[in-house]
Amino acid sequence: MLEARGLVKSYRAPAGAPIRALDRVDLTVPAGSLAVVLGASGSGKSTLLNVLGLLEDADGGDVLMAGERVSALGRSGRGRARGRYVGFVFQSFLLLPSLTALDNVLLAGRYAGRRGPDVRRRARELLAQLGVQERELHYPPQLSGGEQQRVAFCRAVLNDPPVLLADEPTGNLDDANGRVIWGALRARADAGAAVVVVSHRADAVVGADAVYRMQQGRLQPGPPMPGGGTP
Amino acid sequence: MRLLIRILRGYAFTIAGIAIGVAGIVALGAMAERIVRFIEGGDRFVLGQISVAGRGLGMGAGFTAGGMLPAASLRAIAGVPGVWGVQAQVMLPLNPSTSQFMTLTQELILGVDLTVPTPNRHYPQLPVGQGRYLRPGDRQAAVVGASFATSHGLHVGDRLTLEEESFEVVGVLQRTLTAPDRFVVMSIEDARRQWIAKDRMLRTLLATGVASINAPDLNTGAAVGWREGEDPDAVARRIAEQVPGVNVQLPSELSRLLRSSTAFFSALLVGIGALAFVIGGLSLANTVAAAVFERIRDFGVKRALGATDLQLGGEVLGEALAVTLTGGAAGVALAIGLGFAVDGWAARTGQQLFLFSGRLLGGALVFSVLLGTAAAAYATLRVVRLSPAEAIRRGA
Repeated sequence: MLEARGLVKSYRAPAGAPIRALDRVDLTVPAGSLAVVLGASGSGKSTLLNVLGLLEDADGGDVLMAGERVSALGRSGRGRARGRYVGFVFQSFLLLPSLTALDNVLLAGRYAGRRGPDVRRRARELLAQLGVQERELHYPPQLSGGEQQRVAFCRAVLNDPPVLLADEPTGNLDDANGRVIWGALRARADAGAAVVVVSHRADAVVGADAVYRMQQGRLQPGPPMPGGGTP
Repeated sequence: MRLLIRILRGYAFTIAGIAIGVAGIVALGAMAERIVRFIEGGDRFVLGQISVAGRGLGMGAGFTAGGMLPAASLRAIAGVPGVWGVQAQVMLPLNPSTSQFMTLTQELILGVDLTVPTPNRHYPQLPVGQGRYLRPGDRQAAVVGASFATSHGLHVGDRLTLEEESFEVVGVLQRTLTAPDRFVVMSIEDARRQWIAKDRMLRTLLATGVASINAPDLNTGAAVGWREGEDPDAVARRIAEQVPGVNVQLPSELSRLLRSSTAFFSALLVGIGALAFVIGGLSLANTVAAAVFERIRDFGVKRALGATDLQLGGEVLGEALAVTLTGGAAGVALAIGLGFAVDGWAARTGQQLFLFSGRLLGGALVFSVLLGTAAAAYATLRVVRLSPAEAIRRGA
């Protein structure tokens, strides 16, 4: 389970008052569910994801993963917690250009202390599941955007993280690739992970278990989901 | 290995940048080493003997320049307590028109009395590269310095004509990067004839018989040795006190004079070294730090994947080590290649501009690795202070 309590985060503006990106945000995402956070650009949704994933410190509040107050850990502890608990899918993929697709996936294993044939086999399985097994020895510049995002997804889930965070995961993809990534995110939630997706697209709520709307740093229950569910 | 090659390929421009910086350090350092060798060689020579010349002015050159040193004076010197070995010498400029200049590249004739051993403790015999050294009884035979041989196109067995007298080149000295590289060494009897041929006044004196000069008196100086356990400066002072009409150089004083006369080169050397370290070092440190900063986004991604500061630091330092070592080795190779090319061209005039000593090459590699690692460590510390999100944002 992923839990955020009273998260506060402000950025210094070049002039004028500081910009409040997170304003007392509370969020609970149970294991096995997929939450979507909608919001316009600048609403604070990416900041929320960064703070949840320990990529950025909040000015106040707590982040808990599997009951552990990970936001209170030191820098190295947060680094280890990221490797243990969190998988990231970024809008711009963020694959390392000097590594092949397979090595990019294996990178997540390396920092979690996982090496050897088992983890390599697992990486290949994931690439096959996402339909990019033929591209494992290609470098990112040799892959299409959709293929890069599939590889990035494999990297995010290699260690079976209990928390999966995705920032506009289909923002740079065509519809077909977008559907593949959404299906994979849903599958991770079904497999027991707490999945949070932020998006500016309203159609992203399809398949979500909960929807929230971010506005000026505040998180509120979102619009009703197709099918009549509630957050 | 595959990973190392890929890393190095990714750093091709960085390696090239480091190589250029290190090549600069090594090339300038090699020029400085060349000058150091010259100064040290001269210093070693003068500290190995007491140099004595006749009092007054003469056309002699080099360490034994001065007036004529007659045979009677040589015998008196040999009788001074503490003296071991006196070798009469004639040292002349090959070209008398340059005698007024004591230049570092002056070509000299050195005539030595081959019937006695050379008393210089550091150079009992000049090192021969090809052929042989002179033997007692050799006449019209010469051993030439390496630079002299190159610039005059001489080899063992060739003939060398000096003052219309033909000499057989029986040996070529090893390159010492000091004064002997430009010597023509011959028997003192031959050198005396060269002296007479070059010096019209001496010729006139001998012809008129105004002065009672015999052949054994025609010496420009002498190399004097000292007995084991004796203080060479004390022996030199004793010679000056007990033998009239001589100029005696104290080894330590001559060394000091030599060093002060080469003070300009020493200063130049320090300047070259400082310049090399500043330019090369800055270039190297800047290149390595820039390479780390360029990958700031990659580091952000790696930290997002769970890399700790320690893992990231180890990774960056490992890469920096591999990159600076490769760049450093390439720089050394580049400098040596360029140095040999330039020296190949300069050798036509008997010059050598570079000396790539082991201490220079080793020092340059160690320096580049240490500086590269320090620059990488500094850049890494700056990078890991950023949050992963900030690193990814800045690197975008």
